[in-house]
Amino acid sequence: MSSPAEILAALRARYPGMESRPVDPAPQVTVPPEGVRQELSFLRGDLGFDFLVFVTALDRPAEAIIELVYRLFSYSARVSVVVRVRVPRDGGRVPSVSDLYRTAEWHERETAELFGVEFSGHPDPRRLLLPDDLEGFPLRKDFTHPNLRRLPEVIAE
Amino acid sequence: MSEASGLPPTPTPTPTASSSATAPSVPAPAPSTSDEFLLNVGPQHPATHGVLRVVVTMDGEVVKDLQPHIGYVHRGLEKLFENRLYEQIIPYTDRTDYLSAMANNWAYVSAVERLLGLQIPKKVEYIRVLMAELNRINSHLLWLAAYGLDMGAFTPFLYAFRDREEITVMVEEASGGRLTTNYFRIGGFTHDLPASFFPRLQKFLRRFGRAVDELDTLLVENAIFVARTRGVGVISRERAISYGMTGPCLRASNAPLDVRREVPYSIYPSLDFEIPAGRNGDTWDRSWVRIEEMRQSLRILRQATEGFPEGEHRVKVPRNLEPPAGEVYSAVEGPRGEVGFWVVSEGGRKPYRVKMRKPSFSNFSALPEILRGLKIADLVAVMGSLDLVVPEIDR
Repeated sequence: MSSPAEILAALRARYPGMESRPVDPAPQVTVPPEGVRQELSFLRGDLGFDFLVFVTALDRPAEAIIELVYRLFSYSARVSVVVRVRVPRDGGRVPSVSDLYRTAEWHERETAELFGVEFSGHPDPRRLLLPDDLEGFPLRKDFTHPNLRRLPEVIAE
Repeated sequence: MSEASGLPPTPTPTPTASSSATAPSVPAPAPSTSDEFLLNVGPQHPATHGVLRVVVTMDGEVVKDLQPHIGYVHRGLEKLFENRLYEQIIPYTDRTDYLSAMANNWAYVSAVERLLGLQIPKKVEYIRVLMAELNRINSHLLWLAAYGLDMGAFTPFLYAFRDREEITVMVEEASGGRLTTNYFRIGGFTHDLPASFFPRLQKFLRRFGRAVDELDTLLVENAIFVARTRGVGVISRERAISYGMTGPCLRASNAPLDVRREVPYSIYPSLDFEIPAGRNGDTWDRSWVRIEEMRQSLRILRQATEGFPEGEHRVKVPRNLEPPAGEVYSAVEGPRGEVGFWVVSEGGRKPYRVKMRKPSFSNFSALPEILRGLKIADLVAVMGSLDLVVPEIDR
């Protein structure tokens, strides 16, 4: 299976809720946290999405969730797919996929420390970028730090 | 194990157990009869080309395991972006990778332009390609200069800097900056190309083809260089893709994959150029691919000069940029690989989230796998061949 049309058909069959968001042409699928390993190994093994472009997250404080975003690309078919996983802000956990994609190891470490999500089964769950004594999760919307100042309203107007 | 930026991990009584805990995908090395020790390289070390550190578990002079420590220049840029207007973010993108300011500018502004639905004039696309390819040559020349020094060859440094200066002058006359150029704007450029640009470029194009051959024979075809790099630090195509490697580091592993071909953007589909790929995925191939890419960039520059259209260097954009809600991932092929910006807008003048996908981050993460089992002298050769830019790893 390698043509983009076949892959899109296979995606649509497996994920009836598949959507696309404004501007980004990549299909977007949302999977439950416990299914992320199964779905990513399906996408990698069966559909040929061999390149994990990045793993990151979005903080949605209004819904009290963190939305994890895995962006995959298939070099053979030249198509992208975005996998989203919604976990609660407090105690959010998702299985690590660092054995499926080796690059996920560092991306997950970064996402864990910046958003406060736990990747269970991660081989090396230490901090990657942040200093040891920093408290809180910087990319959450409610993060505060003395050095982080709001943009002056004069400019923001 | 201590935290990322703390002291080196204390040598445990059973080093084999410690290495298997940090690298589960690779079978634990057989118990050794000789003494093992830890060797700390960096964060201030001439071969790291920036502030990063690797802790190497040595058995004699063989590297048994390697623990990268990054984050020394982490500035939290992605957090900062959430508190900046869209147009204020551009100069920060220069400073994530000071050797490819153009590629980073381009990836970011094209993401915002797609969110805004802007049509970009042909002339702007041509200037962007010219700038990006000059930037690629510039970056590869600096890599060659610095890598030569790493490997004990001083002369190529002088030659590479002679050639770099010509590009830097062209870029400076156009943008006002030599390194962090901040030249791109959403919808175009700060200024049009100056009148002196094309005469200088023509002169450069006439001369540089021979200069590449010269650098090629001076360093990459040099017998001592070949002896130190051939067959050293091999990574297979599958493993390289699994580690998310991109750019010359991936292409060396017999994978002619390039964003300019895989996800074509701008005017690249109309240009005639090749994607060089190495055969073995070793350190020499990673070096050769960069030399060959400079030649291909020259071809692109010639074609873009010939077809250069008339027109505006900037489209009119609203004074207050407020992209509608939406998200986009926009990537370009930088000198080190795929430079991508994922921009999420919820309306308003500031982005909700900007994620920078940087090639050095993924390329560097493969270092332990590439280096395990090699000699300590290969550490510098392999690390240099990855062409790391540390602010880009840490962001």
